[in-house]
Amino acid sequence: MLNRNAEALCWIGRYMERTENHARFVDVLYHLQQLQPREAVDDRLRSEVDNAGKWALVVGAIGDRKEFESAYDGYYEDDVLQYVTMDRANPNSMLSCVSAARANLRTLREKLPGELWDALNGMYLWLRERQEDGWRKEAPHAFFRQMKDWASLFQGYSQSVMPRENEWRFLECGRYLERMENTLRILQAVRGWVPGGGWHEPEAYPYLQAVLRSISGYDSFRRYHADGLGVDAIMEFVLLNAAFPRSVQYSLRKMDAHLSLLEAQEPAMRARRDKLLRSSARVLADLACLERDDLLLDRDGRIVAHLLEQSRQLGAAMEAAFFRLGEATA
Amino acid sequence: MSTAEPTRVPAYDSRSFYDEMYDEQGRVRLHYEQVHRSFAAMGPSELARRRQAFGSRMLEEGITFTLHAPGAPDPLERTIPFDCVPRIIPAAEWSLLEAGLRQRTIALNRFIRDLYHGQRCVRDGVIPRRMIVGNTYYRPEMAGLDAPGDVYVTAAGIDLIRDETGYYVLEDNLRSPSGFSYLFKGRSLMSELFPDLYLPSSIEDTERSLNVFLTSLRSLAPSGKKDPFIVLLTPGPYNSAYYEHTFLAQQLGIHLVEGRDLVCKDHKIYLRDLRGLRQVDVIYRRIDDEFLDPLSFQPDSMLGVAGLMNAYRAGNVAIANAPGTGVADDKAVYAYVPDLIRYYLGEEPILSNVPTYILSRKEEREYVLDRLEELVVKETSLSGGYGMLIGPQASAQELAAFRERIREQPGRYIAQRTMKLSTAPVMGAGGMMPRHIDLRGFVLSGSGGEPHVVPGGLTRVALQEGSLVVNSSQGGGVKDTWVPRRGRSGPRGDQSRCEAQSQDQDRNEEECGC
Repeated sequence: MLNRNAEALCWIGRYMERTENHARFVDVLYHLQQLQPREAVDDRLRSEVDNAGKWALVVGAIGDRKEFESAYDGYYEDDVLQYVTMDRANPNSMLSCVSAARANLRTLREKLPGELWDALNGMYLWLRERQEDGWRKEAPHAFFRQMKDWASLFQGYSQSVMPRENEWRFLECGRYLERMENTLRILQAVRGWVPGGGWHEPEAYPYLQAVLRSISGYDSFRRYHADGLGVDAIMEFVLLNAAFPRSVQYSLRKMDAHLSLLEAQEPAMRARRDKLLRSSARVLADLACLERDDLLLDRDGRIVAHLLEQSRQLGAAMEAAFFRLGEATA
Repeated sequence: MSTAEPTRVPAYDSRSFYDEMYDEQGRVRLHYEQVHRSFAAMGPSELARRRQAFGSRMLEEGITFTLHAPGAPDPLERTIPFDCVPRIIPAAEWSLLEAGLRQRTIALNRFIRDLYHGQRCVRDGVIPRRMIVGNTYYRPEMAGLDAPGDVYVTAAGIDLIRDETGYYVLEDNLRSPSGFSYLFKGRSLMSELFPDLYLPSSIEDTERSLNVFLTSLRSLAPSGKKDPFIVLLTPGPYNSAYYEHTFLAQQLGIHLVEGRDLVCKDHKIYLRDLRGLRQVDVIYRRIDDEFLDPLSFQPDSMLGVAGLMNAYRAGNVAIANAPGTGVADDKAVYAYVPDLIRYYLGEEPILSNVPTYILSRKEEREYVLDRLEELVVKETSLSGGYGMLIGPQASAQELAAFRERIREQPGRYIAQRTMKLSTAPVMGAGGMMPRHIDLRGFVLSGSGGEPHVVPGGLTRVALQEGSLVVNSSQGGGVKDTWVPRRGRSGPRGDQSRCEAQSQDQDRNEEECGC
């Protein structure tokens, strides 16, 4: 396989995962009411200002605040939704991600089962149509849901028809690396958001729930922690749960497993793969050594920040190991 | 504040009843302004599209109930009509309702405990003995048994109506009230399909109530077990409320089981699990008492678990709601509830009953028989709106038939004044139309701590023009019910409640201590 094909596959995996996660996250956050009761309910501007915190959070979690602030007037609902869905200038907008995934797939279309292209291209065309028609004619929930459906369709096809060879491994590595990073970012963003740091206030309840809903983990969480919706239980679940497929540990394990199954006949490639495996093993060991007390005491979110940095480094190491000669977009 | 904006639908006329959205002059009430304006801004085609989306989402998610028509090969599966215009209860009114619902539930729970522990209330003459011993729902098996934490009614559904004079309790549902799923699911559908309506309003969150529900069930576990195993016992997929059972089981993270999944051994209840038998600590049952245990009640019941009552008696399993709570929600006992509140709590009832006549009393019976066409007659041992006569709407034959039945078995009936049920606008193809509504308030009680009242409850609508019957089995629909969020001091800030009470109801000042 060409280096650039490997890189393209990895990024298809990442972009599709990112699109899906963002759709879920924005959908959940959109439907959250803000904390403070407002005096002037009917004053549009006033409500926008009150909501600014929520929208700044969305931008912070899935984009770049500085970039956003230089392009838009402020954290208004319409602008933020535009920024995260259709804004071509934002490399993380849904349209940008889907376009990039499609461009990558195009470079190796002939090497992959046709269903993959059909699904991804269908998604892209659907999104383009929405871009032109003004997608907000419908309630946002319908839009986000359709985005999740498209992403699942693509994943379903890749799961059911791709041979389990290196192409598949790279796609999966990208997916799980991205998932780990997204989950961490959501945790970081929402954690820093609840006013006054009052995670234990009854009013924080919707936000605690939002973290779990954003990774579709609410039902699973219940099975482990019943009615104890506390911040440490959530941290533990989201970081360490071994069975929930969106926990950080699960994602990293999966990425590690796919890496280790990469076929590497050449000694040089094998050496690079094994070096990468040692890096991921180190992060896994970090996770495995986390105590519940560490999570409880980690008031500044250092653990999450550390893990985020680790996952960035893993991505960079993967690039260095396999894609150095690649030309596909990154 | 001026609200002189003319109503959008000229045909809307509800002046003969209290209307939740419009006042007597046809102006929009203050707390409805925002919602009214949002609807006015929506074009008719947009509105039609969204209403359709609502229906299809409910079908898609299987939010249905099942009607079994005799003779029909396939049961009828239908979605409950969900009206998209929310009902809004002003915060001060709600604070009063909340306090009243809590008070009523506490008293009823004390009453049930007393009935099975010495019947002090009978000895003190608060309620006639025959009301108890002659009651179909009285369970002698429960006599002398201690319910975990003395909680008999974990989930109560109390139906309220309002007219121009205020709110009244219409009936108590203390066995296994349903409607939770419509309340929670309706809220999430509203937020997804009408975000422009929902998001700008600051309303009390209901999600937390699901957590309280789970906490209440967990608190019942025998000997305060830390991590109890809880199941929801359903009659199965053929039950009309099966969707609700699956919804609650999923949201609470508890197991949905049928009687055949459970087995009793050595006075303990176990779930047949792949890994073996797993002991059950709490059963939230959605089957009636008489089907719970074929050894104790109906011998031919296939729905329950043989030996369950023995396990309960041995204190090895909690059942919510406890067996035998039906005795307190019987329509004949209803008339005594205000007295029971005074008797057990030494407080004046915050919520009034609908004026009720007890037909076994001769004078009241004669009075009722003389003006049957003005009154509502209800059978005391049936629920669901089946054994009911609405005088003003009944034909001469129906009146005669009921007159006959009352004379034969006066103890089986009560009569109530026809209440002028308030109306609220529902959205039809041509715009808003007034329809009669009521309100089911849900109260959740666990062991220790105050009962929790789910903010807003479930508004039920009689969708037929002029109809007063809101039951879903007879063509009723539901609405999302909003309570504007109360101050920052937290949703249960006592201050707001006291203010509301001292304003509307001076007699409660003392209890509040303010």
